[in-house]
Formats: sequence, C-alpha cells, structure tokens
Amino acid sequence: MEINFNQLNEILKNLKAHPFKIYPVLTPHTGYLREFKVKEGDRVSGPSGKWLEKPGTPLFVLEREKNLKVIKAKIDGIVKNLKLDLLDKFVEAEEIVLEIQHPLSQEEVISEILLSTLYIIRAPETARYILSPSLLQRIEKQGLGKVKVKKGDELLIMSFMKREVPIYFEEEGSFIIYKLYFSPFEVVPAEKPLIGLCPEKDLPYLEKIIKRIKEEWS
Amino acid sequence: MKERLLIANRGEIALRIMEACEELGLDYVAVYTKEDEESLHVRLAKKKVRISDYRDINDLLAVADENKCSLIHPGYGFLSEDYRFARRVEKRERPLIFVGPSWEAIRDLGNKIYLKKLASQLKIPVIPGTTEPIYNEIEAEFKAEELLELLKEEGFEYRSLFIKAAAGGGGMGIEEVKNLEEVRPVFRKIRAYAKRLFGDEGVLIEAKIPVIQHVEVQILGSKKGEYVHFGTRNCTIQSPFKQKRIEIAPGFDFNKNFSLNLQKIESEIIKYSLRLAKNFGYYSLGTWEWLVTPEGKYYLMEVNTRVQVENEISGKISFINNNSVNLIKEQIKVALGERLEYTQEEILFKGTSIELRLIAEDVSQGFQPLSGTITHFKWKPESWLTIRTHVPQDKPYNIPTQFDPNLALAIIYGENFELAKRRAQEFLENLIIEGVTSKGEKLKTNKEYLKEKLEIIYQFLPS
Repeated sequence: MEINFNQLNEILKNLKAHPFKIYPVLTPHTGYLREFKVKEGDRVSGPSGKWLEKPGTPLFVLEREKNLKVIKAKIDGIVKNLKLDLLDKFVEAEEIVLEIQHPLSQEEVISEILLSTLYIIRAPETARYILSPSLLQRIEKQGLGKVKVKKGDELLIMSFMKREVPIYFEEEGSFIIYKLYFSPFEVVPAEKPLIGLCPEKDLPYLEKIIKRIKEEWS
Repeated sequence: MKERLLIANRGEIALRIMEACEELGLDYVAVYTKEDEESLHVRLAKKKVRISDYRDINDLLAVADENKCSLIHPGYGFLSEDYRFARRVEKRERPLIFVGPSWEAIRDLGNKIYLKKLASQLKIPVIPGTTEPIYNEIEAEFKAEELLELLKEEGFEYRSLFIKAAAGGGGMGIEEVKNLEEVRPVFRKIRAYAKRLFGDEGVLIEAKIPVIQHVEVQILGSKKGEYVHFGTRNCTIQSPFKQKRIEIAPGFDFNKNFSLNLQKIESEIIKYSLRLAKNFGYYSLGTWEWLVTPEGKYYLMEVNTRVQVENEISGKISFINNNSVNLIKEQIKVALGERLEYTQEEILFKGTSIELRLIAEDVSQGFQPLSGTITHFKWKPESWLTIRTHVPQDKPYNIPTQFDPNLALAIIYGENFELAKRRAQEFLENLIIEGVTSKGEKLKTNKEYLKEKLEIIYQFLPS
C-alpha cells in the first residue's frame, strides 16, 4: 500500500466544502402517516446517554392496525426535504419521508479518510459476522492499532444461510488491524467494510495523517 | 362486489396465485419487500405494495384493508401454517377469508402428538411410538423395550428408535438409539435439551423406519362437507435435510416389479387420508404424507395444511371433462364457499408428471445454499413443459440471501413414466442456467444432481 497524499488532499478538500452527510429517514413499515413532529430546517438529535438510552427527536407518527408508532431520529442534524404531501396518506414500507443533514464530526472525518486509506476487508455476502475468537482475544488484550496479522490468519467467521464460514487474510506482508466497521452478529450488507488494516511499514504515515486531520478539523 | 385477494407470499407461488386469480376473474394485490424488487412476481403484478417483511402480519392486514381485499392467500412457507395468523384473519373486526383450512385444523393437524392420537383412534397406521410425552426415564426404557419387540415382530431386520423432543421439529433435539442400554442416557440428554430449547421436558420415542418411499395423498374438501382426492405423489428424492428435490405423480409405478400389491397400498392410504379428513371436518387443499416400506407397511407421518410446492404435478395428471386441473383455483373456489363441481368418479388420472426443483446449491458441500447472480437462464419451450419461476430471463438476477435459493420448478408431463422421465432428462440436457457468485466464480446449481437422481425415482431409499 502506498498512501497517496494528492488523493488525500482532494478528499479533505471535498469534505471541507460539504462537511455533512445526508441520511434519508424511511418508513419502517406500511401505514398512515398521521402527523409530522418536525418542520423543515429543525435541528434534531439522535439517541444519547451512556447506553443511548435517551431516544432521538420524534420525527413523525405512523398508524397501522390501530397502533400509533412514533419514528425518532437516529442521528443528529437538520431536517431537509420533508415530504409534507404524505400527510394522512397510506405509505409503503421503506418510503423516504425526510432527510437529515448530519454535520461530520472530527471522528467521522477520520473514519471517512481511513476508509480510503486503509486496506479494507469487505463483506463477501450479506450476512452476520464475528471476529475469529483468537483474533478477538488478541485485540481485547493489545487494542486496535497493535495486533498484527499475516497471510492465512483466520480473521472472521461469516454466518450465512445458516452456515458458518471462516474468512482468512489473503495479502502478503505484515498488516496491523486498525479499525473495525461492524458489531458482532449484526447483518452486514455485501460489500460493506468489515475490517480496516494498515501495512506495518505504513503505520507512522497513517498516524501523521490522523494528526493532521485533528489539527485541521477542530 | 368483486372479490379481491391479497397474495401474502413471494416468488413462483405468488405468480401461480396471480395466474389463478386472473383465470377466476378475481382482483388481487401482491406484496413484496425491498430485496425482491427484481423478482418477476413484482414486475408482473398489476397491483403491488412494498412491505417490511413477508412475515409481518400487521403490514399484510394493513395492506389488505387499504386495498379492500376480501381474501388472503398465504401460499406455502412464511405464515401458511401459523394458526394464530389464520385465526386473526378470520376473527378480526374486518374479517377476511383465509384461503386454507380452519385455524383449528392448522393448529391440531400440525401438532404431531394430536395427529398421532387422532389417527390411532381412527385405526389409521402411524409410525409405532409413544403418543404422549414421557417425562420419566424408567417409563422411557420400558416403552423403548416394547417398541423394539414390536419391530422384531413386524419383521424389521434393522431395528432402531428415535428419541426426540416432543415440542421439537426440523431435525433439532433428535437422536437415534440402536439398543436398550443407550436409552436412558440419551433420554436424559434429550430431556435436558428439550427443556432448555422448548421449555418443555416432554420426550417422544418412535421407531426409525430404515428404508422408505415417501408418498403423499392430495385431498380437497369443501366447506359443504364434500371430499375428493387428486391421487398420490412420490417425493422420496430429498436432500439430507428432508427437503424435496424431485416429485412425481402418481405416487407409485405399478409396473415396477416389487413383491408388493402397490394398487392396494395406494387405495388404502387414500382411504385412510380421506377418513381422517372427514372425521376432522377438514376443508381446503391438504396433503397427507405417508412412509411406505419395502415390507408393504405404511404409516401416516404428517398432514400439511396448505398448498404444497409440488401440487401442480397432481393437477397435470388429473382430468375433469378432459381438462387438467389447477388446484390453486380449486382451493380459492372452496375458500369462497363454493361446492365442488365434480365427483371423485369424474376425476380421471392419466399419465405421469415430474417436478424438478432447480436450486442454487453446492450438492457436494452438503447442499450448501449459494447466492450470486443468474446471468443466463434459458430452456427450450415444449408442450409438455411448464416452468414456474420468479427469475427474469431478460436480465441478470441477484438471488436474495434472505430466502431459499430456489430458482425454478420444472413440471414435465408424459403419457407414461418412461416418456416423462425421458423428457425430464431432455429438459435438463437443454437447460441453460448459469451465473456467478459474488466472488466471480461460476455459480453451482443442482442440475447434475437432478439428472442423476431421475434414475432412482420410485425406488425404496434409506431414510
């Protein structure tokens, strides 16, 4: 792996020009959209508290089989593109009702940058994943950014169509596990990132990049 | 008012229900989830609504109300054998007609202990075993001894028993024992397992029938108490997980040289199936599944209170006024309270029909289900061939990983068994079904497996 600084500058420039991400809010199921709890431009917040026990801002109310369900924000941001014409209409499942424009934090910017810098293991199938038990043990002991892996090491176990399939590391050279992108047993769609690795020799460069973002992005 | 039916299912069965509605002049509404957007059942449906999940009862009923549906067809799988769903459909403030039997039939006949008791009362042979859950190991050993003795008397050379959780199913919490000494430790193990998994310690003991043919009887009952059967089907070719792969109607090859009176066995299992249906007051389509042994014994195994995947092969060999029968149409008519328009004598059986289930699976790796993209799917159209599939032929199709990797059903007709088999081979020879896995490798299917297994249809196989 070679870190491409030109490409990195380009990404940072783009992120500075558009320092937010758009999250569409979909209906979880069918029903009548009975009430909007927010207006265009409102600031909303996602779940908070130590265990995310405080729910996010109520967004709208869906009625189905005489039950009312309040759909709440899952992320902080500003309400955009509110589909007011859906009021009192019967909506299908997974219909977009509004968008939340979410400002990127320093941590999220680093995450975005890492995604284009690290060697990424992506989900081969839409399935549930866990770290291989031995790797998990090592990460728990040493922490991320410390554990080395080489070709042939078992990284993950994929639980797919009721079968367990091991996933091995296939690159030559020594790599460091730098970032995990999934929670154990969560369904990860195919092609989504699972693990971010950095070649051992590039680790100093990577730390430098992160330092730079922390300075530039306060 | 014109009746309108909600199709609470996906894929090929949704397509077949759609076709039946169109032929009956009924309106319908299809449902689909995001993963199924490319499926033909979505593309071809005139009216469709996206829902969150095929098992989400609230979504289905909300869509049914919104679209003023008067019936709901559950298809197979998903909610088709959920008696609570059937009960809610019919008992709610705005009731709908459930296209299937009464909810009590789904609850009771779906319960293996209840079924065994009822069958025994009606003098219908069931697999020898306990009809009440056992909680005590001394009693278990005593029952096991009795059963092994009975198997010896019945002339079974290979004698063994299954010890299984009464509340279990689908191959979980079940173990085989070959002699009496093993009974107590295995009983204790299964009892502990049953308690942990199903919250009930009850254990059943049943004889293992070592060599079998799986034959089923297709029944149709109306709400007016009329009953007919549409013959039998043989579904002995199954994966190790008891999933059917090839089915054939009729259920027996009467030309086969067994030292058995196959005609007699067929007429008896039909007679017994009808006896149970009438006694229960069963209406709608239903399948009575039997195990037949090389010794000429037969045992009722279970009742499927829904339309079967393989129903169409029975329709293909059943003729009323020279026309083959569409069993899904008959099922809907019966649900609407109509009388049967024919008697048993007017149903004539002619020819043989074979169904092949084409599946993306790696047979050599324990029938591992596969996902990927189907890139080419072509077959040669023939008058004797019907293909049921939700896979489009005009563009690549991604197999959703949330469901079974079933791709298509090929239904083949021949005037006799030899011709039907030859045509099935011909179909497989000419079939093009190709794809790639997500890793870019060639996608495997069970095509070669089907070719090989066509040769052993109608044989007795180890269970």
